[in-house]
Amino acid sequence: MTDAKTLAYINMYAILGTIENLCELDEEASKLANPKKPVSIGLAVTDGPSATLTFKNGRCRMDQGIENCDVLLPFGSCEKFNGMIDGTVTPIPSKGYSHIVFLLKNFLPLTDILTKYLRASEEDLKDDKFFEISTKLMFYVITVALSQIGNNDPIGTFSASQIPDGIIEVSIKDCVSAGIRVKDHHMVTIKEKPERFHSKMEFNGIRLARDLFDGKVNAVACIGEGKIGMFGLVNMIDNVNRILDRVAIYLA
Amino acid sequence: MSFPVYNYDKSTELFNRATKVIPSGIYGHLGPAEGQFIPVSKWPMFAEKAKGTYIWDVDGNKFIDYMCAYGPNVLGYCDPDVDAAAAKQTALGNCTTQPGKVMVECAELLVDTVNTADWAFFAKNGNDATQGAIMCARAYTHRKKIIMFSGYYHGVSPWCMKKDYPGVLEEDVANNIILPWNDIPLLEKTIEENKNQIACIIAQPYDHGNFHDNAFPEKDFWQKVRKICTANDIVLIIDDVRAGFRLDLAGSDHFFGFEADLICFCKALANGYNMSAICGKEFLKSAMSSLSYTGSYWLSAVPFAACIANINKMKALDTPTLFRQKGEKLTNGLVKAGAEHGFDLRVSGAPALFYLRIANDDNMVLHQEWVAEMVSRGIFFTSHHNHFINAALSDKDIKHTIEVAEEAFGIVAKNHPELFR
Repeated sequence: MTDAKTLAYINMYAILGTIENLCELDEEASKLANPKKPVSIGLAVTDGPSATLTFKNGRCRMDQGIENCDVLLPFGSCEKFNGMIDGTVTPIPSKGYSHIVFLLKNFLPLTDILTKYLRASEEDLKDDKFFEISTKLMFYVITVALSQIGNNDPIGTFSASQIPDGIIEVSIKDCVSAGIRVKDHHMVTIKEKPERFHSKMEFNGIRLARDLFDGKVNAVACIGEGKIGMFGLVNMIDNVNRILDRVAIYLA
Repeated sequence: MSFPVYNYDKSTELFNRATKVIPSGIYGHLGPAEGQFIPVSKWPMFAEKAKGTYIWDVDGNKFIDYMCAYGPNVLGYCDPDVDAAAAKQTALGNCTTQPGKVMVECAELLVDTVNTADWAFFAKNGNDATQGAIMCARAYTHRKKIIMFSGYYHGVSPWCMKKDYPGVLEEDVANNIILPWNDIPLLEKTIEENKNQIACIIAQPYDHGNFHDNAFPEKDFWQKVRKICTANDIVLIIDDVRAGFRLDLAGSDHFFGFEADLICFCKALANGYNMSAICGKEFLKSAMSSLSYTGSYWLSAVPFAACIANINKMKALDTPTLFRQKGEKLTNGLVKAGAEHGFDLRVSGAPALFYLRIANDDNMVLHQEWVAEMVSRGIFFTSHHNHFINAALSDKDIKHTIEVAEEAFGIVAKNHPELFR
């Protein structure tokens, strides 16, 4: 019960958008994001999302639209774009052939590193640093996916329609935070701690967050045990949690 | 005066045991997640005993309980008259192959008490009653669609939930139409657009939803709805599960000056003995009879005996008047205590089911902090649900509650010097 268009938005903003954070957190990724001259890769999906990833000085930034990209990867449908993400479709650039080397030698390895963190093996997770980066990246994927589902998925938009305007803070205590801004039932995830919140959901540690992401613990029981704190307008969180249920379906 | 802050070690230990063998430890509205214990460290999880208006938790902490088991405690926990009637019936028999004669006596009492009742149909929970009422309306009208008003809560059957709830299908709620309160032109337009398709309107007697100030409908709203239903052969159902008998012993429709076709009761019906009832008009009796709708314990005798004793005692005490007076006395005191510390405490809904909200901030955090300080000092409130008055609540209890509130307001103010200088 997933929708290809919603999945395309998740793949664009939650998965590829997390390369921004990958380059901040992983040294090898940062090196790959450091071309001699800045390179921007546009991804345009017919009847779906379009965005540009710009690589400069060891960092990556994602912007909406493809107006200023050096390389353009067009996709005829959401299904084809989703196919690229799951490795069944090979994209062909429609412009920027001179940057093919960057695509092959930098961009693809970056996505491989991202995959390593997001589909982490038990062995890799034994390393504390890897564990922390992996969990932080998953946190960003999930919080951004929340907004994409709230804006696009047929059931998700219903949940979003029940959320009043305001900012929902989601955080792992002493680790990472994000704010989900809701305005007229449209959701935008901002990957930093908001100045103030209308509602807040906080996991009391990175280990707990990981177990929740991996489905190893029950969230409702964790609330009872005080491991997940909820504050403020918890009716906002209530509806976000309904969308969160759908995140698991899309990211499975 | 300073009130001691409670410790919940045994509650916590028991909850940890519970999570191993019960999904989420305590599920539903009595649990810390749905009950919104914010933060959970300030709340007890399990009760040891209850008497009158008090509960004692497993750590031995005593509380004045303003949730009243979310409504069923109407006369006071373990009311001697109700319990005596129940004990007498227990000695005679409870869950038997034939229903006891008390079932008939209970139905007769409800018909005599409830204004709109020509008959009574019994079940166990509020959800059984609302579900049965919907089925009755559909059986009578041979129509599918249901109109409800925003902020509705009519139980936990799939039809009355929302399509994004786990386990609920879009198809389950496909025949629901949700309209805002008080918009008669929109109601008329909707009925016109769904001509001969609306089986019923089901609504609480007023908007006593969570997370927002509770509100009575506008003047003449119900009279207009009644007229529209009659003109369009739509069954008008009042879900009086929460408010029933606390506003008016003849039913909350009677309180608001109209007659429902069906009215659903549960919480205050038998002072904690488990039963619910649908009362209805004569023209729906045959449709109700036609339903295949029953349950293993629905006709058990003990709750009927308790219900009879409970209703008779509520009549003798005139509990609706008593509840209004107690509710007003309490909430006036709370508002005054809050104002002295700079808090804008808003009280809404009927005094018997008062809803509280501190309006100084826009995210309810101050309110949650204040409620948490109250609970951890023995006043059992919840953050975002209406509260309940019971007949055992004394003036001394009210005075004590206000004293604790003064201290709790002071603590929250001290914790927020940026807001309260």
